[in-house]
Amino acid sequence: MTAPAFVPYLLHTLFPPNTHRPTEIGADVMMGLGMGYLVYWLTRHRKWGWLWRDWLTTVDHKKIGTMYLIAAILMLFRGGVDALMMRVNLAMPHAPFIGPEEYNEVFTTHGVIMIFFMAMPFIFALFNAVIPLMIGARDVAFPRLNAVSFWLFAFAAALFNLAFVVGGAPNVGWTAYPPLTELHFNPGVGTNYLLVSLLISGIGTTITGINFLVTVLRMRAPGMTLMRMPMFAWAALNTSVLILFAFPPLTVALLMTLLDRLAHTAFFTLSHGGMPMMYVNLFWLFGHPEVYIVALPAYGVFSEVVPTFSGKRLFGYTSMVVSMAAIMVLSYGVWAHHFFTMGAGAAVNAFFGISTMLIAIPTGVKIFNWIFTMWGGRIRFTTAMLYVMGFIPTFTIGGATGMFLATVPADYQVHNSYFLVAHFHNVLIGGTVFGLLAGMYYWWPKMFGYRLDERQGKLAFWLFLIGFWITFGPQYLLGFKGMPRRMWTYPAGHGWHLLNVISTAGAFVMGAGFLVLVYNVLWSMRHGERDASGDPWNGRTLEWSLPSPAPEYNFARIPTVSSLDAWWAMKQTGQGRGRGAAALRLRPQDIHAIELPRNTGYPFFLGAAFFVLGFGLVFSWWVIALLGLAGVWAALAYAWFDHDQHKHMRADEIRRIEASMGRLPA
Amino acid sequence: MSLPLGTSEEPLPIRFADEPAHHLAGVPLEFADEEQSLKITGFWMVLVTDLLIFASLFASYAVYRPMVAAGPSGAQLFGLGSAIAETLFLLTSSFTVGIAVWYMRRGNQRAMIGWIVLTLLLGAGFLGLELHEFAVDIARGASWQTSAFLSSFFLLVSTHGAHVLFGILWAVGIVVQVLRRGLNAVTARKVYTFSLYWHFLDIIWVFIFTVVYLGAKIA
Amino acid sequence: MRAELQTPDPSRSTETEAGFEFLNPHFAPERFPWPQVWGYGGSLLLTGAAVYLVLLHVLPAAGLGALVLALAGGQALLQLGVFMHIRESRGPAWQILPLGLSFVIAFALVGMSIWIMTFKWGAS
Repeated sequence: MTAPAFVPYLLHTLFPPNTHRPTEIGADVMMGLGMGYLVYWLTRHRKWGWLWRDWLTTVDHKKIGTMYLIAAILMLFRGGVDALMMRVNLAMPHAPFIGPEEYNEVFTTHGVIMIFFMAMPFIFALFNAVIPLMIGARDVAFPRLNAVSFWLFAFAAALFNLAFVVGGAPNVGWTAYPPLTELHFNPGVGTNYLLVSLLISGIGTTITGINFLVTVLRMRAPGMTLMRMPMFAWAALNTSVLILFAFPPLTVALLMTLLDRLAHTAFFTLSHGGMPMMYVNLFWLFGHPEVYIVALPAYGVFSEVVPTFSGKRLFGYTSMVVSMAAIMVLSYGVWAHHFFTMGAGAAVNAFFGISTMLIAIPTGVKIFNWIFTMWGGRIRFTTAMLYVMGFIPTFTIGGATGMFLATVPADYQVHNSYFLVAHFHNVLIGGTVFGLLAGMYYWWPKMFGYRLDERQGKLAFWLFLIGFWITFGPQYLLGFKGMPRRMWTYPAGHGWHLLNVISTAGAFVMGAGFLVLVYNVLWSMRHGERDASGDPWNGRTLEWSLPSPAPEYNFARIPTVSSLDAWWAMKQTGQGRGRGAAALRLRPQDIHAIELPRNTGYPFFLGAAFFVLGFGLVFSWWVIALLGLAGVWAALAYAWFDHDQHKHMRADEIRRIEASMGRLPA
Repeated sequence: MSLPLGTSEEPLPIRFADEPAHHLAGVPLEFADEEQSLKITGFWMVLVTDLLIFASLFASYAVYRPMVAAGPSGAQLFGLGSAIAETLFLLTSSFTVGIAVWYMRRGNQRAMIGWIVLTLLLGAGFLGLELHEFAVDIARGASWQTSAFLSSFFLLVSTHGAHVLFGILWAVGIVVQVLRRGLNAVTARKVYTFSLYWHFLDIIWVFIFTVVYLGAKIA
Repeated sequence: MRAELQTPDPSRSTETEAGFEFLNPHFAPERFPWPQVWGYGGSLLLTGAAVYLVLLHVLPAAGLGALVLALAGGQALLQLGVFMHIRESRGPAWQILPLGLSFVIAFALVGMSIWIMTFKWGAS
């Protein structure tokens, strides 16, 4: 290729027409301004060193949790803007705001971002923030791999979000079904972006699953048997197992699609014996357990929040554990209910319909247990508790419509209609998002040392809850009226207009809820009530025995656990009546030197190398891909040969820190 | 045998730097350090998730087996001879790496390295045979672009082969570390996890041999 | 600090988890590596038996396939038990539970995928 021809080729490849529509340009400008301001701020305040030393190279689970949380909220914003764009379009069938091509891209990125780059990191934010504190551990089992997980996720998210700036966004739906994803039908690079970024973030997610599984199994404080663990630790355990078993089929399905596109294999082609439905089978082998990967942590949060704010121990702890394990195992036996209409036959559909209905039983057990926990308790209506109260009816209705979809003949009627859209938003927002926000409000003081303002928090809650129902209630009706999902517009005067307008109005109410939430965070950073006691809610589990925020080493002395709700028991048995600092009296001689994992930059470089590798694969620019691969190997080799992974914290240093927090007589 | 653990002063979670009981007597070196033993548990979980990767690939192979399109079927393409030779290489290498770990537990570093090197040679022999088989298939016009059946065959078998290749590179790195640092809790754990990985690949290969090569003769 | 905070009851230690005694660790003895030798011999024997049975076609295809798969399963157990020392750990050998579940799910995944996807075989 001659030099003059090279430039147009490059420009056309990097900036095809779908990257310079007004909405894309607007987003580019906003992102550029945001990043420019960030660079300016870091330079102006000489914060680059701080950023590198304290954050980019950190292996402290609490800081990694904070970074996950920031990323999740940013992604919630992006996914929410996508949602609003879709809703605006559907409210105006006379004059659509965006065209069909752009609409396809927007619902694709909305789905991918909300599931993989919002819900997952939000869950990992909570795991990282509290699981080690809850089980009395100084860190996760593999602190460095924890950082690797984060950076693989972060760079994968960056790669995915790069798509609409460079090369064009994917437009195949978050499920990315073939044959639409085949090169023949979809020659742009958007699909590659989706496949490669999900493959990379999948590696990070798998590592996180391994990390928390081993952490919970092996690093509990003395005396904390499995049946004395907080339910949130059980949730982490079950979620981790689900991750280990669910992500491999996704990896294989994405890899096959990528090979079809890059190496011209014949897995999902329409000729050469390819079977697109095999992708669907593999995808949902992942996809259904994924639903529980994002739901079980929410159940765990509710099981912590309800006892705390009811002032009672969790009702039916054992049945909670058993039902969670039952959900975990059953969730592997239901995946074909996502494609009943494939026509696999009556026996297959009957089997998967019945197994799907079976899951309602353990879930019902949990719902009743939460209600019974509240029964007769002194309920404090905090923001976190309100989210639980909103969750219970919302999720129950979502579950009931799920039973409707599990009934095969009914599913044939409403398959891929707005009824389905309403159903899964009902369980994913009503279950997962409410759960994660409840967890955020509940553990925020522990993570950052101050409370989020309750009045603003409650306003955000009501906006979310009411907005949710205004948005998705009408969508059930639209489903019954036959409106299919993923359509960019419809003929006006089709009987769908009014319901769509109501739905869109509700979406804006939810958007307002998000703005209030962000304002709540920003306001509370300045004016939020300091949490001096470390135990602002009169909590029950070990994380509340620590100062807020917890010191780098978490526990100056590892506690010994003798019952469920260990911290509550300590407070009750009078190991210091009253709350907070007095309850765990440390003596100077209890404190020993502690070995901590040393910060390291290789996880960041590993993530960056994967980004380069992924970018090369997306555009099939093999030299860049090979450079990235070499970078991956270099980072791994560095990690392999680095045997000096610890730093020591001297006992007197720890005594000084503990004294400064009022935990030790100075 | 239960471990002499759990005295009141010994913290179960890791990292009390001034604890002399940090290294335990009476257990193999690779388990003597709490942190290294965590990594062994973690590596088992890696194998768990890898097993599911292969299960997904086996499921694809099983489903795609009749989808030969215009290409050859397994019965027409696969010869047992090369597959049996590959199996013997891997089974023997599984034995040799087992002996390497046995020597490691006796503290015999030289013998351990010798048996690891033998393992890697056998692994390289396996890879050579497999690549030769692939080359012959492709020369006969049976590549992974020919049919969905061959796509799934090449993906399944070459994923295993890529694992073997990675294992060889990894083990070379471990041998270098053992030569530089000797056997300690860290390097012993690395040898141990490598041995787990290698035996695991042997298990996967036995199933590939059974399902792919013997399966082609059964049908 | 209270006495009960300082000295854990050994029976309550996480090292032996009540109800999970079967996970208590077990370390391979360090004598002559007879187990490895038997394991190697056993794996060769199982492979030889599988090849022999298939070449002789001793059973109809379905039964033969199941038999050969069972032999492969035997090999897997042999590797796990003899070479991989699956019961070794510090504290309960937790790996046994996820690994066992993963084998169950792996077989279910393969079997049920074949079952679900057979509808297409008739069509093609």
